[in-house]
Amino acid sequence: MALLKPFSKLPELNTANILLVENEEQLQQNLAESIVLQKTNTNVNVRLARSLPLPIEKEKFRPRIDLVVFIINLTSDLSYQSAETSLKFLDPGYFLGKVCFLVTNARNASVPPERLISVRKLVASLHCPLLYAEDQTTEGVNTAAHRLLAILKVTAGHVPMATGLYLSSLSRCTVPSDIDQQNFD
Amino acid sequence: MEGRNSTVKTPLNHVVTQRRSKRRYSRAMRSCVEGSYLGYTPGHQTVLKIPISRKKAKSRDITNRVDPDQVALLVKKEWQLSYVTPLYKFRHTMLKAYSRELSAFIVSEKPQGQAIEIAQELGFKVNIFVVLGLAETDQDAETIFIQILSKQVFAAKDDAQKVVWSGLLTCINGDVDYLRSLPPEFVSLPLLCTSGPESYSALVKSWFKKTFDCCFGPMCITSTNLQWLATLWTGCHPEKNVQYLKLAWTIPTLPPMDVTYKVNAQDAWMLWDSVRVNATEDSVSIDEVNSFIRGLQTHFFRHFRLDLSAGSLMRVSTALGSAHHSGKIKITSPDYMTTVLQLLTECALLKMPI
Repeated sequence: MALLKPFSKLPELNTANILLVENEEQLQQNLAESIVLQKTNTNVNVRLARSLPLPIEKEKFRPRIDLVVFIINLTSDLSYQSAETSLKFLDPGYFLGKVCFLVTNARNASVPPERLISVRKLVASLHCPLLYAEDQTTEGVNTAAHRLLAILKVTAGHVPMATGLYLSSLSRCTVPSDIDQQNFD
Repeated sequence: MEGRNSTVKTPLNHVVTQRRSKRRYSRAMRSCVEGSYLGYTPGHQTVLKIPISRKKAKSRDITNRVDPDQVALLVKKEWQLSYVTPLYKFRHTMLKAYSRELSAFIVSEKPQGQAIEIAQELGFKVNIFVVLGLAETDQDAETIFIQILSKQVFAAKDDAQKVVWSGLLTCINGDVDYLRSLPPEFVSLPLLCTSGPESYSALVKSWFKKTFDCCFGPMCITSTNLQWLATLWTGCHPEKNVQYLKLAWTIPTLPPMDVTYKVNAQDAWMLWDSVRVNATEDSVSIDEVNSFIRGLQTHFFRHFRLDLSAGSLMRVSTALGSAHHSGKIKITSPDYMTTVLQLLTECALLKMPI
């Protein structure tokens, strides 16, 4: 079974590892460079993947992954389907605060609103936080990197008195019960 | 004068026990559903549902209800769609006055800022008339048709004026609750179809904005709605031969690739029939539409190793009509016009940002 397990390896001193999973492999490159360039006291290693499961041959050399980020591009249906199938290869221990979803192109007018609704329902059912990112400008990428780094520091244990589970239960995605309806007040 | 002493003192040693309401407790424990409208000012609430199931397209012989000449005006033209917010104090009885005002407006606005062209049109005449018989329910306002006629400079004296621009304001089977919730001075005709040069469209829109205080906006047909149209048209195959089902996707490769997928109508119909869970039921659900499209995509993948869901659906066309993602629609057959216009009215109502 090729499940990615959160606690099967020992952590390294002052190091945090983040895994970016994206089917299109567009945003993850820019995001990775931006995360690494952010000013921080910890060593951040960014690993990129197209989908899970990760290749089993490299399992020995892989460090402990502190945060798994799924990047979903709303303009393509395949992105959402691929993220959904990758979720099966994640150990349930990850969903206690070590998984985060990042959505791009949410403001695009050609995106059918049903897709964002189904993404929100999926993320809310998993109790994970959902972030929105603007991937066309460098400021958008830097903002997203900054936010991911903040979450990463908590899940890697570098922030005292805060854990990933605590943070995720505060910031997780919720959907109102009438999300299928558009309301005009 | 003794005033009533109405202060109540908190009892010092009395512990107030709160009755733990079971409903509140369970609500706090409910995980991913939250109460809404915490930040909204409570006002007149109108709710529009994104539809998950639709009625099957019925062949409607509308020549019984609509004048055949007017039907001929609607078919075989490519319309550009936009949404319209409700019109204030629009009267169906004052159409002649409106047409006079609109022609005067066009005459005054047209030459402004434009170089004199050789083949300039002279003498505009505007026709606004009602197309009776298209409205489905009592709540729908009657459809309005606008025509701009003009004569070319080099035309002979007795030549009739030609139509240079046409427009259609319509509301077919709009959401009943929404229409009923509008204040009485407002008329809702949420769908505008225009056909002709963009300069005239802009003039007509600015006149409407000035006179009826409404807003116009572009309407793009999302891929979900294009899929609805594809399945509705395919479902009409046993009654009226659609001849082919052509779908066009744009794949975001470098350089971007356009894929056109043409399916024989009989094969498409057989696939659709096998997807339908209850063939006798009148309504079509979104799951059936998704399975139909996914069936087509997996077939394509098996042959060409290209997953079409990575791209976006741009165009759907059959012998009954064609629709483009940017908001262009063409209806070639008058039979299913009401169903298509009903779907487009729903899109326009959902797109409106009231």
